[in-house]
Amino acid sequence: MEPVETPTGQSSDQMFQQLGAITRQLHEALKELGYADQLKGSVEQLPDAQSRLSYIARLTGEAADKVLNHVDGAKTEQAFIAERGRLLEGTISRVPGLAKAMPELLQWSHDVVTHAEQTDNRLTEIMLAQDFHDLTGQVIQRVVQLAGTIEEQLLALLLQSAPSGTPGQDKAYVAHALEGPVVNAEGRTDVVTDQKDVDDLLASLGF
Amino acid sequence: MATPMKFLIVDDFSTMRRIVRNLLKEIGHADTDEAEDGVEALNKLRNGNYGFVVSDINMPNMNGFQLLAEIKKDDALKHLPVLMVTAEARKEDIVQAAQGGAAGYIVKPFTKATLEDKLANIFKKMGL
Repeated sequence: MEPVETPTGQSSDQMFQQLGAITRQLHEALKELGYADQLKGSVEQLPDAQSRLSYIARLTGEAADKVLNHVDGAKTEQAFIAERGRLLEGTISRVPGLAKAMPELLQWSHDVVTHAEQTDNRLTEIMLAQDFHDLTGQVIQRVVQLAGTIEEQLLALLLQSAPSGTPGQDKAYVAHALEGPVVNAEGRTDVVTDQKDVDDLLASLGF
Repeated sequence: MATPMKFLIVDDFSTMRRIVRNLLKEIGHADTDEAEDGVEALNKLRNGNYGFVVSDINMPNMNGFQLLAEIKKDDALKHLPVLMVTAEARKEDIVQAAQGGAAGYIVKPFTKATLEDKLANIFKKMGL
């Protein structure tokens, strides 16, 4: 392969030689300062950090599933109660004179229906709140990936710093094109913060 | 009354698929199926009879944008409305989805009312 000339007039071969010299100086500096051992300790802890994060993701998923199972059951029960309340209302209305003699019976059966429906709405909110598993899970996935990438790069650096052994191959960190949930929107103008922002943006573009 | 049709819910998180499935059922759309990523979704769409796609964006193997592109370039599938339901909140992602032909875009976390509202808007545009 022919060397490529850079904008500064250097050939790519010369650039790689300079980069190699800088890298060797960095490795020597790390060894002399005693950071190589510290790095080694940090690298060894990364798989532990990854597995702890994966444990968190698994447990939060199980918790969300448990809640959703109970919500499903409770919604079925509330629907049954509401239906019985409506039947009771109808029955009381059809018995001649009963509603007039004891209006509270009609009111109570109506209350049963109303409260059953309100409880059902609360259960829907509880169900929606389980989306935390998806949102936190995506963030945890990215941190686990990042920890893996850092581990690879640090290992490569340590191998190259070792007195003997085959130098490792550095892998460039490729930024993930998709960001996942926005953890901190403060100071950012490139993200939306709620559905209204989404709708306004789309409307401004004619969608 | 809800327009009867089969929904395909695409998301790599089972919890989210379950939430969307339950919400659709509450809104009146009980006929649903699920896929974990764009590859599985595309396979189901090409072999099934679906009327609507609700898709996440950030998924392994084939993400939501790629799935949307595949749907829109397939003559048999391009009529399908695709509603993105996603945590991706960057403006460029929203614009990309709209330009790619997405019928709507919902950011997580969302409410039942938002989903209902977006579906109603899409059905109205479809003349349903």
